[in-house]
Amino acid sequence: MRDLKYVGKGVSREDAVDKVSGAARYTHDLIVPGMLHAAIVRSPHASARIVSIETDAAEAVPGVRVILTGSGLCYQLGLYMQDKCILARDVVRYQGEAVVAVAADTLDIARAACRLIEVEYEPIDAVLDPQEAMKDGVHLVHPDLGLYEHMKGVFFPKAGTNIAHHQKIRKGDFDDAFANADVTLTAEFYNPPVQHAPMETHATIAQVLPGDRVELWTSSQSPYTVRHLMSVAFGLPHASIRVHVPYVGGGFGGKAGLGLEPLAYVLSKAADGRPVKVVATREEEFNTLPSRQGLHATIEIGCSNDGKIEALKSTYVWDAGAYADYGVNIGRAAAYSGAGPYSVPNCWIDSYVVYTNKIFGTAFRGFGHLEVLWGVERAIDQMARKLDMDPAEFRRLNLLKEGDETITGEAFTSGHGDPVGCLDAAAEAIGWGTPSARPSDASKVRGKGIAALHKAPAMPTYTSCAAVIKLDEDGGADVLISGVDYGQGTYTVLRQIAAEELRIPIERVHVTWDCDTAFSPYDWQTVASRFAYMGGNAVIEAAADCLRQIRETAGRALDVSPEKIVCEDAAAYAKGKPESRIPYEKLALGYTFPNGNSIGGPVIGHGRFIATGLTHLDPETGQGLPAQYWTYGAHAVEIEVDTETGEIELLKIATAIDAGKVLNPKLATGQVVGGVVQGLGSALWEGFQFDENGRFLNPSFTDYKIPTAKDLPRETEQIFLEAPQPDGPYGARGIAEHPMISVPSAIGNALYDALGIEFAELPLNVERVLLRILEERSGKG
Amino acid sequence: MLGDFEYVRAQTTADACRRLKEEGDRAVAYAGGTDLLVDIRNGVRAPKLLVDIKGIEALTRVRARNGTLLLGAAVMLNRVAEDASIRDRLPALSEAAVSIATYQLRNRATIGGNLCNASPASDSIPPLLIAGASLHIVGPEGERDVPLGEFCTGVKTTCLECGEIVTEIRIPTIEEGARTAFVKQQRIRGHDLAVVNLAGAYLPSDEAVRIAVGSCSPTPLLLEAIDGRSHDPAAIAEEAIRLADASASPISDVRASAEYRRAVLPVLIRRLVARLFDPQGGA
Amino acid sequence: MHTITFHVNGASQTVHVAATTTLLELLRDRLQLTGTKEGCGIGECGACTVLLDGAPVTSCLVLAVEVDGRSVETIEGEAKDGQLSALQQAFIDAGAVQCGFCTPGMIMSARGLLQRNPNPSDEEIVEAIAGNLCRCTGYEAVVDAIAAAARSSEAPRLLEDDDPAGGADA
Repeated sequence: MRDLKYVGKGVSREDAVDKVSGAARYTHDLIVPGMLHAAIVRSPHASARIVSIETDAAEAVPGVRVILTGSGLCYQLGLYMQDKCILARDVVRYQGEAVVAVAADTLDIARAACRLIEVEYEPIDAVLDPQEAMKDGVHLVHPDLGLYEHMKGVFFPKAGTNIAHHQKIRKGDFDDAFANADVTLTAEFYNPPVQHAPMETHATIAQVLPGDRVELWTSSQSPYTVRHLMSVAFGLPHASIRVHVPYVGGGFGGKAGLGLEPLAYVLSKAADGRPVKVVATREEEFNTLPSRQGLHATIEIGCSNDGKIEALKSTYVWDAGAYADYGVNIGRAAAYSGAGPYSVPNCWIDSYVVYTNKIFGTAFRGFGHLEVLWGVERAIDQMARKLDMDPAEFRRLNLLKEGDETITGEAFTSGHGDPVGCLDAAAEAIGWGTPSARPSDASKVRGKGIAALHKAPAMPTYTSCAAVIKLDEDGGADVLISGVDYGQGTYTVLRQIAAEELRIPIERVHVTWDCDTAFSPYDWQTVASRFAYMGGNAVIEAAADCLRQIRETAGRALDVSPEKIVCEDAAAYAKGKPESRIPYEKLALGYTFPNGNSIGGPVIGHGRFIATGLTHLDPETGQGLPAQYWTYGAHAVEIEVDTETGEIELLKIATAIDAGKVLNPKLATGQVVGGVVQGLGSALWEGFQFDENGRFLNPSFTDYKIPTAKDLPRETEQIFLEAPQPDGPYGARGIAEHPMISVPSAIGNALYDALGIEFAELPLNVERVLLRILEERSGKG
Repeated sequence: MLGDFEYVRAQTTADACRRLKEEGDRAVAYAGGTDLLVDIRNGVRAPKLLVDIKGIEALTRVRARNGTLLLGAAVMLNRVAEDASIRDRLPALSEAAVSIATYQLRNRATIGGNLCNASPASDSIPPLLIAGASLHIVGPEGERDVPLGEFCTGVKTTCLECGEIVTEIRIPTIEEGARTAFVKQQRIRGHDLAVVNLAGAYLPSDEAVRIAVGSCSPTPLLLEAIDGRSHDPAAIAEEAIRLADASASPISDVRASAEYRRAVLPVLIRRLVARLFDPQGGA
Repeated sequence: MHTITFHVNGASQTVHVAATTTLLELLRDRLQLTGTKEGCGIGECGACTVLLDGAPVTSCLVLAVEVDGRSVETIEGEAKDGQLSALQQAFIDAGAVQCGFCTPGMIMSARGLLQRNPNPSDEEIVEAIAGNLCRCTGYEAVVDAIAAAARSSEAPRLLEDDDPAGGADA
């Protein structure tokens, strides 16, 4: 068994050189000659009829070229649910919604013009709370819901209501099992909406070309999805849409679907094909562009006296906001994960995705799992205490093991990974079982908490990825792939895999940075922690294809059969005869015999990977096989609480994830630390605030606080288990989203340990914590 | 950026005052710009002329005269944070300065700008209140000194008349053995505006404790002097809490509720007073 | 319009600017030095950090007219003669770069720090970069990178007088 040269090593990113020099160009930095700049007018109301739009004064501003309103744009957009228009048409459905767009010679001119535009609104009823929105007789955010195109058989909107989708899991007989359980518990939990807050806001340049073609440069996670959705929305053939994705300054799911591309396109079209650049301000990133949905969860668990979970029921009410395109898929995916990584023989889940008149949700790292596990992992802890069991022990007893089934009826095998191992590793890392030391400061208390996590890629059953590898004249190789590396480092991992498989020194192997739908092969979307897994497999196959071609040509050159050709160190030779060595550069473009005859040709390999064996979920029972693979993990934390101010400090957080195979320890560590800190944001500080009229109150970093370098845990530890994923590249499975998923629940559990108080709502900010402490104290006084 | 203003650099104080008076409402003094430029960007303010006062030499000095420390209004906050003569005299101000915004912003924002912005949550006002500071104001008609307590007249409003600028912050001698300290409650450890902020001083000569409370009223409040002869931090703190409770009127805003502010104010007062009486704490 | 002459990364530039042009706009739009990024426009995120006479500032809140006669350093000036600086290399080696959008501002804050404090403690590093928001890395690797750069054998480049002995070595 050959020792791995590159896979599994902490190879540095090649793209880091461009990034540390300022040479890396993001969509924000690009200029297309003749480019116009766009600005938008946003709605001040959560729900209103648009009575009139006065643009005369704006049109008169020198340098203004195009002004568009929704009434001229009758397109309905969406991947899973086509409920969104480009600019508000007839009504506005959330405060912050784009109503008018202006394209002008400069950004300042566009913005000045926007300030001169007068929109008259007639406020109408708004529905702001998703539970309210589910009741009869309330305002309908989408009265025409029944007429919208959507992915049939997968999503089930309820016409005449605010329910965009209802996902059901019905396994076993919950009612019976719960009624007969020895110990039961019911609890409610709440997550507010939060923002991805990538450092690069959304940006797109669109240029309509003659013949109704369009070229786009966009800060996106999914060039092919952009192309496809533009094709569907505007009735253009795929080949007439070209999408470039340069460097991307973070995505976290917010750039997974369509963002500003349709708006940029219609502006360019209206400007007779002049390129138009649309860049979101930070306020627009918060107030106009989508968020992570809020969630209200009710969880009921029934257990036997010896600690086995017999029944679990969850009702998830997702606050989808004004548009539910991605939201419906989150509602679906979270349902099939909605009981946590446990064996639950009787399970009943209702996951409702509900429209409200607020900023709409989209994919966000974790895809509903952080929100769901905030409820589940907290309820698990509560049940453990009710049973007088150690929370880690209770989890150990119930975590999925060989022979168990998931709640969709999937059999758990050792190839799934090692959830118990992760739990044990995280627990040990914080000294679980040993109470925290008493702080010397009397106002401080400490506590420990633990939480498990799981997630599978939430993706369609036909999700695929393709890769092309071409050898260079000098025997090096380039990998073409259109998954996007927006910071997670996957291109580096693919470079390592390509170099390993091709047997070429890594310095001569490169992953072509820019994605271009004109020549990069197809990839579905860079989301769901699936890119390293699928891209890795595609690259392995592409490399094998290259080697097949090399062996065939070398075989003919050396007059041996291809099976007898060995490839090593960028050269091919006949087995047992290393002196017959032909370096790749003499094969990369074909081989020329001494007499001049040439054979073979340019070596170009292709590989692909498609999701296999996945099925739709039964609409009534939710049974089926939605998961290509699962990744399991656990967080364990020790916290210190200042009981007089409500401040929480993390003394230590340990994260254990079963990666199957750590393809690059430096990158994997970076993913985990980054994800944990982003999770800390959700746990302690982040959440949208709205006034009673649905107006967004904190759309900037001044009042939407994300972690800074001063907010780090005192100590973090990252533990990787490696129970191989049987069909993963080198046994690897995805880990991108997982590091943030159970950070809030672990902290919530630790907070109970420290204070004896159950917190049901995020974020656990100083205000919430202190006021609860005082409330509990006065209740006892 | 979006805005419609001209820019001029004033060479002297008189030059600045003249221009500001001439243009009236249309002109504004421009120091660090960390509040002003954000307001212009957001369409909250729309001046036609920015009069840059940062280059006026007299406004950038830190010097002592007859025991009074004269702090130029255009001195940047990082310099306020690092200056040894300020730290010797009024460490509460040094602590407050370093808690403001970020290192980069403190290379632009000025002490005068922070005072003239007159935010109820200003971090520099409470320490200067307990020090009995006054502001030296120069206008086209002459000069005047205004005690800081009279300078802020309401939320983001001051007693500055058209054409006037603050040139110096005058901090009187603080006696040997005095201890001052600053405490601030934020939502996050990273840079943040105050939810509640306090400064305190213990003056051994008259055994008095002076406390100023910020973020709990339209302008930061200087509480009545508290008798410190007991040297009992708990008792002194309780008296301060009683006084603060009587005069503070915290509101609920996007940063915190009035309830939280009321809950954390006494905690911070106790911690502040403890620091004033702890030989290790304050200075 | 104002005519200003200033140094950018050691090279003299003369440009005409409106009073309303920010230093960030001057760098990115006029001089096409797009390494400096806009993350928020209100000084909160640090992505636009440059050195102005050696002091880190958020260029979105500096007017271009103010840099007349002064010197500005941006990320494009960090590497010399095609060689990455020790600081840049340390960022690469420590895994302190993910999406890279905060990186130029982060490096400029670090450069400012090392110029004024060649041997910073971890707390001092954190204080220096606390105004640079990053959503990807969780900051640990960034702090490690700056600490490693401080320890490296590269003499810190002093803004004013060069130490005749060749600079302090960590």
